[in-house]
This record gives sequence, structure tokens and C-alpha cells, in this order.
Amino acid sequence: MFILERLGTFFGILGQMAVTPMDIALLFSCTLLGIIFGALPGLTATLGVALLTTLTYGMKTDLALTALLSMYVGAIYGGSYSSILINIPGTAAAAATAMEGYPMACRGEAGRAIGLTTTASAIGTIIGMLFMVCLSPLVSAFALQFTSFEFFLLAFFGILISGTLACPDLVCKGWISGFIGLFLALVGRDRLQFYPRFTFGFSEFDGGIDIVPVLIGAFGIPQIIQVMVNQMKPGEAKPLERVVPEFGKIVRSMGNIVRSALIGVGIGSLPGIGEDVAAWVSYGAAKNASKHPERFGTGCDEGIVATETANNACIGGAIVPLLTLGIPGSPPAAMLLGALMLHNIAPGPMLAMEHPNFLLEVTAILFLAAVTMWIVGISLARHVVKVLTLPPMLFMPIVGLLCIIGSYSLGLSVFNLYLMLPVGILAYAMTELGYPIAPLVIGVILGPMADENLRRALMVSQGDFMPIFTRPVACILFFVIILTFVSQLPVYKRLRTRLADKWTARKTRQVACDTAADFGDNQ
Amino acid sequence: MKKLVLICLVLLVAAPMAMAKKYPSRDITNIVVWGAGGGTDVCNRVVSAEMAAILGVNINVVNKPGGVAGSLGMAEAYGMKHDGYTICGLSESCVTAGVQGGWDKKMDVWYPFIVAGSPDVISVTPDSPYKTLKELLEAAKAAPKTIKAGAGGSGSIHHLNLLAMEKGSGAAFNFIPYPGSAPSQNAAMTGEISCVVTSLAEQAQLIRGGKLRPLAMLTPDGFTIDAIAIPSAFADYPGLSQYLPIMQAIGMAVPADVPEEVKATLSDAFTKALATDKVQQWAKDNYYVINGKTGEEASKEFAKLESLFAWTLLELNTTKVSPEALGIPKP
Repeated sequence: MFILERLGTFFGILGQMAVTPMDIALLFSCTLLGIIFGALPGLTATLGVALLTTLTYGMKTDLALTALLSMYVGAIYGGSYSSILINIPGTAAAAATAMEGYPMACRGEAGRAIGLTTTASAIGTIIGMLFMVCLSPLVSAFALQFTSFEFFLLAFFGILISGTLACPDLVCKGWISGFIGLFLALVGRDRLQFYPRFTFGFSEFDGGIDIVPVLIGAFGIPQIIQVMVNQMKPGEAKPLERVVPEFGKIVRSMGNIVRSALIGVGIGSLPGIGEDVAAWVSYGAAKNASKHPERFGTGCDEGIVATETANNACIGGAIVPLLTLGIPGSPPAAMLLGALMLHNIAPGPMLAMEHPNFLLEVTAILFLAAVTMWIVGISLARHVVKVLTLPPMLFMPIVGLLCIIGSYSLGLSVFNLYLMLPVGILAYAMTELGYPIAPLVIGVILGPMADENLRRALMVSQGDFMPIFTRPVACILFFVIILTFVSQLPVYKRLRTRLADKWTARKTRQVACDTAADFGDNQ
Repeated sequence: MKKLVLICLVLLVAAPMAMAKKYPSRDITNIVVWGAGGGTDVCNRVVSAEMAAILGVNINVVNKPGGVAGSLGMAEAYGMKHDGYTICGLSESCVTAGVQGGWDKKMDVWYPFIVAGSPDVISVTPDSPYKTLKELLEAAKAAPKTIKAGAGGSGSIHHLNLLAMEKGSGAAFNFIPYPGSAPSQNAAMTGEISCVVTSLAEQAQLIRGGKLRPLAMLTPDGFTIDAIAIPSAFADYPGLSQYLPIMQAIGMAVPADVPEEVKATLSDAFTKALATDKVQQWAKDNYYVINGKTGEEASKEFAKLESLFAWTLLELNTTKVSPEALGIPKP
């Protein structure tokens, strides 16, 4: 009875919102704004939510919340546009999408790719939302299993897995790139005791290296140089192309979608780790589960479906601990927490008692935001693809300008430009040498987390490494990391092929025997 | 004709003078040095709205976070004309901007108005073996530096509270730094640390939800929250009064050299705003204790916090500029 009543309330809120013109207008405008924020390198979901927080202060709480959540959903999805079209991810969350999306665009399937990512993102958001409603106590209990050791291991795993996946031919190169990122993350004052490391007396380095200029420099500059050098078109656009994916295709990918969404919700619920790691982990999981792992990296549907579902499912996951414990699960969710405080709503264990319908309201908004995002995305796809028809000599300088503005706009500091350029040149050299760039960026993002948590964990355990083995979650993560390492060793690969050979040999022999036996019976 | 020109000239000269006399004649901007939605921001927005109604002009609240300890926003607000049309929304943590190299001024360049602060409270998880503060502190005395305690970041006001509690009681904890109050409360819930010191405003939801169990208020008076009576730590440890309380001081400020009548108008509006039901209700709902000090008195409080923070940070080895170079006296 209780559930039915809740469902009734939910549909009541949903219906009421869907017919209020103000809500609809806000949903569409903020989702569109979010997509633009996501698609432009340098403007992030966090920044978008932060800007809207101040703008929506005067609004009523539910309207403000509609605006903020639409912005969040739109921005996480929007990052895939620039990933697919020009191989420069608009947000770090979309870096994994570029792995598959850009090759698709090069084949002239940009429209289809955007159609797929749009649908995957919408489904991901809705699955994330379902989890938020049904399992929020469970998800927040899961989040409480994570102490400093687990956070360190998870951050380390994030860097490792992106290195493994981004460079399939020689995994070591991916790891090296990840560790360069990890090193860059060490620059600045350390977060525990404020000791300056590698700052060389520059006060600009004190706060550490900002992610946005690194993201833009590392992805944008090599791409611009490459297009200019090779005089090539970034991608091709076939004008008459189906954008909405076939229904059957989505049904067939359902396994992949649900798995990716689960990964997204799980990782989203952990404080500090967000959409970027979720996308890589689910990309890896999809590759492992796929029947054709060799197709990954050449523009396959499974890849982009996995990444985009996971990064959007993260939203629901990140909101759960925010509403139940007052702990934001991702950086944009932290901004959301600020916005709620501004409207005199204190998220935490008492929220369900003080504002009983609040969770349902958030759910309804997320659902509508997902639907709106799908409508806006699908109708935009056809037009967005047209940017590829621009001659690269005209288009790339514009992208370059956007990169510069994006870096500068963060804290309006010229220093970020000085940072962006060398990082870009380093990234170009690395690309030419066959090193992947994505692990470097992930390293910069997760580096502080790995560093800070390892040191804190050792402070807590007073220098003892044993908790890694005595804490169950830490133990599992540790062995997954070891497995990731070992599985790349030549010894392991040789062993595996030998075992596989033996197995097939035995199987053939057995089949041969069986046939012989059958044959004998027939005689 | 000559007459007309003369009248015009007189008007041109006299008009701004006449206008200058009547403060405020146009909108005021309040530059908050922390991000939207934080304690300082919400507090400034609530009080500014009430002050605007009393002064009869708008007060636009804008956020200018960044720099060190809010130095970016403070530098911007201080860089504007010192005419009372730019207010700076700040908090006690801003007093460290000087020693951390954020800017080269002391807090005495401001004429502050302190709205409120939330008292600090020490809590444990519900399944913790320590039922009272005495049990916790005695255990910490018996085995120094083994009980893990969290209190926001290193050098935060909560860390200062923890340090003062250690000094006043003779106990020694193993301090584990976290990036802020929320992460350290979270760590207490996961069981990574045994006790946590943050403000009551920050912990209220978790205390009421039964996720944390409060042991004592680090203020001379206890506090009752939803029928949960929290005793004062001073009852068992009178020695604490020598070092505590160290309270948050959230408020706003104008440069110290704005005209006296502007200060008087603002102080009057500020005092009236704090007395309104809306501000009182906000403070009650969010577990803040209204302070209401202005001018001289408020400056004294900021100076005290400044010297305490500056010299503690020096001890923690996290200063860039020595407090002596800035002329900050020892506490």
C-alpha cells in the first residue's frame, strides 16, 4: 500500500510538472545550456551548476532544482558531442567516449554515434534514478564501506584501467602516460600538511595544477596540430543518415546498458570519484564481456553505449549519498549541496522526515530531465553533425580559440594558458610516439585523491599496510589491481594461450572420440 | 543667460554633494568571499535581504571565491571605492589570508559586523565505547596519540578547537586531516576515525538522524537539540576555559576608513536586521548563535582570532608569511 501511495505521489508530481509551462521552459532551456557547457572544452558540469546556483537563488526551490538538475544531466551528456565530432572531450567524463566515437565519426557515422550516445545517456540517467528511489539506503551503506585505503586503491585502479584500455597494443605505454599524469598531480602544496612540492617557488603552483587547462591542452592541442599537419577533415558527415537508433539495437544492448548503469551508480555513489572513472571502468567491463573485444578502439557501438550509460547513471548514484548522508558523490553534486543549503534544505538522514516528498520530487525532475535531454539531443544531432562540413582550415582555429578561452575563463588566470601550452606540446609529442593521452588526464584528476588517501590511510593505520588485506572491499580492489597487472605480463598471456590450446585440443579429441563412439554405435 | 549657466554650474557641483550626504542612494554590492551555498554565503544572503528592506535599496550578493582564505574576494572588495557601497561577506577563516600569503594586510583594515557562528561539538559514532567526554579524554590520556580524531582540514577552526581541547585537558589525539568538515564527519561514520570535532550546524542532521552521538559542546554552555541534551565540556574540564571557546565568526565588513556616518547607518541597519524574525528563525533552524557585534567590539574579536590562527598555523608550519612580519601579536 505504501509503495502504491508513493507511486501515486510520484506520478502526481510528474504530471504536474509536465503540464506547467514554466517547468517545461526551464527543463528545455537548462538542458540545452547544460549540453553547451558539456560540449565546450573548459566549461564543465561543475561550473555550470555553480553558475546556475547563484542565478536561481531567487527562484522557488522546486524550480531552482529543476534548473540545476537539467543542467547537470545535460552537461554530463554534452561532453560526448565534442568527443565524437572532433576528438576533444568536452568534459573528462567523455574521454572514454572519444575512443570509440571519433573513429565512428571518421567513418561518417557521427550522426548515428550521437543518436546512440543520446539514447544510452537517457537510459543511463533513468536507471540511475531508479536506483536512487529503490535502493538508496543500500547504496549509501555501500558508500560507507569506503575509507582512505579503499579510495586510494580505487583511484589507483582508475588510472591503471584507463591506461590498460587506452593503449591496447602496448599497455605499458598507457600506464606510463597515467603515471606522468600522477606526477603532474603531485605539483603544489600537499593537501594534508600543506608542504610545497615541485613548485619551484612559483606561487601559482601552490594550489596544484588545474584540471581544465590540462584537459584542454592535452586533448585539444594535439588534435589541432594533427588536423593541420595532415590537412585532413576531422570527420565526415553523411547528410541522410538515421539518427534515432533502431529499437532492436537498444533491446539487444540491454545487458551492456544495465551492467554499465550498475557500474555508474556504484562509482557515482562514492564521494570524490565521479563520471570519468565510471566511464572507463564500464568501458573495460564492456570490452571484457564482449564477444568481439578486437573491435574496441575502431569505433564500435558497444563502447560508446557503455561509457555514456555509465557516466549518466553516475548522476543518480552521486545524488543518493547527497540526500541520505549529506555527502556529495561527485564535484557537481557538491555544488548541488550548496544550492540546497541556499534554499534552506539540509540534505542528510533527516531529509526524508523533514521533506517527505523531496526524494520523489528529485526523481521526477531527473526523469523529465532525461526525457528532455533525449528530445533535445536527438533533434540537435542532425544539426551538430554539420560542423564537420566546415573546412578544417576554418574550423580548427575556432576550436583553438575556444580552447584558449576555456582555459583562461577558469579563474581568469593567464597562468593557465602558460600551463596549457606546454602540456599540449608534451601531449602532441606523446601522441606521435604512440602514447595515449587519456590516462594522463585521468592521472591528473585522480592523482590528488590517490596521494592524499594513501598518506591519510597510513596515518590512520600508523604505517601499517595490513588493512588492505583485512578490509574486504580493499582486499577485492587490491586483487583486481594485481590481476590487471598480471594479465598484461607476457608469461600470463603465454600461459593462457597454452591452457586454451590444451583445452581446445582436449575438446576436439573428446569430440573425435564421441564421434568415433557414435560411429561405432551406428555400426 | 549668465544666471542660467551659473545655476546649472551650482547644481552640477551641489547635486553630487547633496547626494553624497544621503547614504545609501543607490544599490549596494555584497562580495562574498566563499562559494554559493556555503555557510557564509547563506548567512550573508539572509541578512543582506533584511538590511536591504531597512535601508530601502537593493543589496546584490555576488560570490567571489578563490585565492587563499578568501583573499581574492577580499582584495576585490577592498579595491573598490571606500564609500560603503561595497560590502565584503567574510568569515573567521579569512583571518589567515595574510599569513598564508593571500594578501599583505591585517584584518584591522576592516570595520566588521559579526552575524553569528555555530558552536563546535565533539561527537562519536553511536556504537563507540566512549559514552561521555570524560571516558574519551581519559582513554586518550592513557594511550596518547592513538585515538584518531578528525576536525576538518589542518589549520581549520575545528582543528584549532581540537588543539585547544587537548591543551586544556592534557589529552593527546592522533589528528587525521580531511579536506573539510563533511569528509571528516563521513570518516567518523565509516569508523575510520573515533571522534570528530565540527560545528553543530554541520553535524545537526547527522546527530538528529542518529548517525553521530554528541559528547560535549566546546562552549561554556550546553545545547539541546531535539531533546538530546549536549553538556558543556567545561563542566568536567574547567581548565578548558583558558583556551576555549573559539567560535566561528560569520559576517560582513566595510573598509575601516569609510565615512563615519556610513558606518553608523550600516550598523543601525545591521542591528535592526538581526532582530527581525526572519534572521532569528534562520539562526534557530540552522543552529547558529547570533553574535551581533559591530565596529570596535567586532574588530577585537577578529583580532583575537587572527592572532590565534596565525600563530597556530606557524606552529603547524603552514604559513608563508610570518605573523611577526605582518605585525600580528602573539595570543
